[in-house]
Amino acid sequence: MTSTSPDDPIPSVLIVDADIISRHAIADYLRHCSYAVVEAATIEEAFVALQEPKLSIDVILCDVSGEGSKSGFELASWVRANRPDLEVKLAGGTEMAAETAAELCESGPHLRRPYDPAAVIDYITRLRASRRA
Amino acid sequence: MSSTEVWPPPAGCDDARRCILVVEDELLIRFMLSDGLRDEGYHVIEACNADEALTILETAVPDLLISDVRMPGSLDGLELLKVVRETLAGLPVILISGHLDPATAIGDGATQFIAKPYLIETVVRAVTNVLDQAE
Repeated sequence: MTSTSPDDPIPSVLIVDADIISRHAIADYLRHCSYAVVEAATIEEAFVALQEPKLSIDVILCDVSGEGSKSGFELASWVRANRPDLEVKLAGGTEMAAETAAELCESGPHLRRPYDPAAVIDYITRLRASRRA
Repeated sequence: MSSTEVWPPPAGCDDARRCILVVEDELLIRFMLSDGLRDEGYHVIEACNADEALTILETAVPDLLISDVRMPGSLDGLELLKVVRETLAGLPVILISGHLDPATAIGDGATQFIAKPYLIETVVRAVTNVLDQAE
């Protein structure tokens, strides 16, 4: 992703993750970096988002271990064939997704990397730890 | 979240903003509703079904739950409401549906009912009213 000026539209990230805790944490992190974020719980939802004209997606961040009948690799293949303008970042788990989100923050609207991805992992860990038995 | 606020926030719904859990299975509706509420300054957690909502409710207690009624998954919105009333009796719940009778929703324990289709302004007004009454 290239840098943006204040007049450019806000870049939009589609995050695809079946785990609501990590999806919410990473989505919040990206919003804090001034991205518009669309959250999809499944690959099927991601396809809905990509085919919705009201949602202008620039980047897809997809956990390839996601649930659903279609895999993240199928999504990436579809994007290459049908939406080659989109950037697809596949992540194999929460830590890689957090690192990728941090890279997006570094290259995104505010050109900064405000927090180490370890902070995202720590946040997710605290959320999981706070689950009542 | 404003870029001037500290991140990461405390776990769950413990930051300074009012926290709303939105449960809606249709992605576009969930996005528009959540985005509209974020524009009003709320901290919004998005769940695509009741199971995800229950996962969040194990980690955090929001100030308000907004749920669609007809949803795929193990529980629909009315069944989610029943679980919430058993475990978090004081949590305000707004149910949204294009099919349900408002009297049924309120009779089953919903704090407020909004019929589909709706304007986001209607939801924002209802959220303000419900949260003000809950104080």
